[in-house]
Amino acid sequence: MKRLFNHRFLALIQKEFAQIRRDRRIAMSLILPPVLQLMLFGFVLNSKVQNLRLGVIDESRTPESRELIARLSESESFRLTSYYLSPDALTDAITHGKAQAGLIVPYDYARNLQRGRQANVQFLLNAMDANTATIARTYAQSVIASYSANLQSSGLHAEFSQIAVPDVGRRGRVDLQPSFLYNPGLVASWFSVTGVLGLLCILNGSLVASATMVKEREAGTLEQLLMSPADTSEIVLAKIVPLFLLLCMMALFAIGIMRVVFHVPFHGSFMLVFAGAALCLLSGIGIGTFIATFTQSAEQAQLTSFFVNPPMSSLSGALTPMEAMPHWMQPLAKFNPIYHFGVICRASMLKGSGIETLWPNFLALLVFTVILVSLSVWRFRKQLG
Amino acid sequence: MRRILAQTRKELIQILRDRLALALVLVLPVCILLLLGSSIALTVSHLPIIVQDFDDSSISRELVDVFRASTSLYVTSWPTDRQPQDAFMTNKARAALIIPEHFGRDVLRKQSSPVQFLVDGSDSNTASLVAGYATAIVNAYNAIHSGATSPQPVQAQIRLWYNPGLSSKKYSGPGVFVLAMSMFAPLLASLAMAKEGEKKTILQVYVSSISAHEFLLGKILAFTLVGLAECVPLLVLLHFYFGLSFVGDPSSFFVATVLYSFCVAAFGIMVGAAIPSRVAAMQMVALGGFLLVFLLSGLIFPIDNIPIQIRWISNLVWGKHYIYVVRDAFLQGGGWPSTWLEVLIIGFTGLVFYTLAWRTMRRMQVKA
Repeated sequence: MKRLFNHRFLALIQKEFAQIRRDRRIAMSLILPPVLQLMLFGFVLNSKVQNLRLGVIDESRTPESRELIARLSESESFRLTSYYLSPDALTDAITHGKAQAGLIVPYDYARNLQRGRQANVQFLLNAMDANTATIARTYAQSVIASYSANLQSSGLHAEFSQIAVPDVGRRGRVDLQPSFLYNPGLVASWFSVTGVLGLLCILNGSLVASATMVKEREAGTLEQLLMSPADTSEIVLAKIVPLFLLLCMMALFAIGIMRVVFHVPFHGSFMLVFAGAALCLLSGIGIGTFIATFTQSAEQAQLTSFFVNPPMSSLSGALTPMEAMPHWMQPLAKFNPIYHFGVICRASMLKGSGIETLWPNFLALLVFTVILVSLSVWRFRKQLG
Repeated sequence: MRRILAQTRKELIQILRDRLALALVLVLPVCILLLLGSSIALTVSHLPIIVQDFDDSSISRELVDVFRASTSLYVTSWPTDRQPQDAFMTNKARAALIIPEHFGRDVLRKQSSPVQFLVDGSDSNTASLVAGYATAIVNAYNAIHSGATSPQPVQAQIRLWYNPGLSSKKYSGPGVFVLAMSMFAPLLASLAMAKEGEKKTILQVYVSSISAHEFLLGKILAFTLVGLAECVPLLVLLHFYFGLSFVGDPSSFFVATVLYSFCVAAFGIMVGAAIPSRVAAMQMVALGGFLLVFLLSGLIFPIDNIPIQIRWISNLVWGKHYIYVVRDAFLQGGGWPSTWLEVLIIGFTGLVFYTLAWRTMRRMQVKA
């Protein structure tokens, strides 16, 4: 340890800082991605089902049918776009994307209701997007059910309830009362932003690291460094330390954006999130350095990272829930630092968990970091030696 | 024409010699489609929930059994003396069903009996899915045991069109197909073009008899072919792994695919011509090809959810129109009447990229 922090090492670090300061591209890639990616992902990745375009065929044209249509379109989820006259026109509108949902009220709707019979309406949904369709179906069902319940109480349906079989020998209803913990408003950006932070740390860390590592070789100044009295591990560590410090500032900046722009709550300790981010950055730097030792130029390093980054980010549960992956893939995520950081970040920020529940994830991150960094230092030394 | 083809041949030979590039266009798209196509989904089922039954009567166990029987949720064990929040903290469960004491007695007395359903809201979309599943389960339970005979006055008959099984693979597959198509061919195109600028071989092109149009068209044609070659294994995968096949008339899809390959190749060439540095050009293509198409083209999340201030940008993203055509070809089957505008837009965008590339080429020629 004492040997590390000698004069030579500090001089090397100073040199790296000077190099980074002069390279505008690296400075840019420390500021631009966190802002751009957090903002884009946070604002754009919104799975909330709202304002679905609803096309209507109202063959009944009565106050009752208009009441039902008003109920559907006044909810946040559906927006009435236009009325159609024939089923063909509505079908075309759904096929061509002008409407995403359709409601068909038959001509005998009001008459059936007044006579106390059951009235049927048809509800069409474009289910190409399975997620939107699943949620929209629940919404439509609950809007129509609550409309029905109100009908029964409003007296219009006095006859209807008489016709219904009396509930002798029947049990009481079970009344499910869902409540949402940790994110009662179901703000979508809290989920995506906390996931993107991990992606940012790993992807940006590896990108910046591989760029700086490869640069010395491209410029042909590596030999000069080797001729200097510094030994190889000093050279590598002197490259890692300034990068790490700068990337930590980037992570702090990103956490600041999360807090100020997206109002993500901070129920747990800040230090826990920051420590996780630091470990994540170190493993990112490890991956970048490792890639750099296999490649001769910045171009090759970037091309190689195309083979590493997409699997890493898609098998992380950062943007979509873990359960979406096929079953056999799910265990693979346990070997992914982004996954563990995502767990730490969400648990600590949103749920307020502490180290006593998160220690397995920290341990995993720590192991990855140690393995990746020592592997890359070892490869680097071998190449230089 | 002969000079264009000669230029194309030269490019194709260069690609074939670069093993890394070849793997990038032929192997990586397939891997990406497999990985992203099956993991980027929002509709998840088989989610763990815990049950705390403080009543422990036959009635309450009956309710729990209904939850057990569901395919979208599964019940994992959890002791009643531990807080359900602990299960959320350690990600053991997505939701907790809490049945109060005297639940069975109240139900038998025909009173409406509340049960609590706590949902971990940290993943907002999954939370609303879980709540929806649970509501449907309890409604079904009620229908069997208490209220089947008081039918709702208004009955909604819901029909799901184009994807009745609600399989999210069928939605994400075409999206990721477009993502792969918009990324790798233009990446190689921009690299090849930027390389000419970086290595100054472009000067040789200037002094040769080839004109700017011929040079650009030759290059673009080569990478259009690369894009189309990439398309073949992807379509095979879409058919066999994602279970998609053409519904209706596929001719608009084929025209759109050729035009789109041209469009993205022209985009890559334009970037390479404008930025004569391979690393910077690559970052630009990654930004345009990946980030824009991934985020602003309705790949996973509906475009209507994008805040209105930036939603208009998505109309300029070429991938958005192609995604529409691909989904139409595989799911809706609208054919030409519903896709002609998109096909025109894709072709037009390609022309714009081509013109821009040509203008930068002309400028460079004067400078040199």
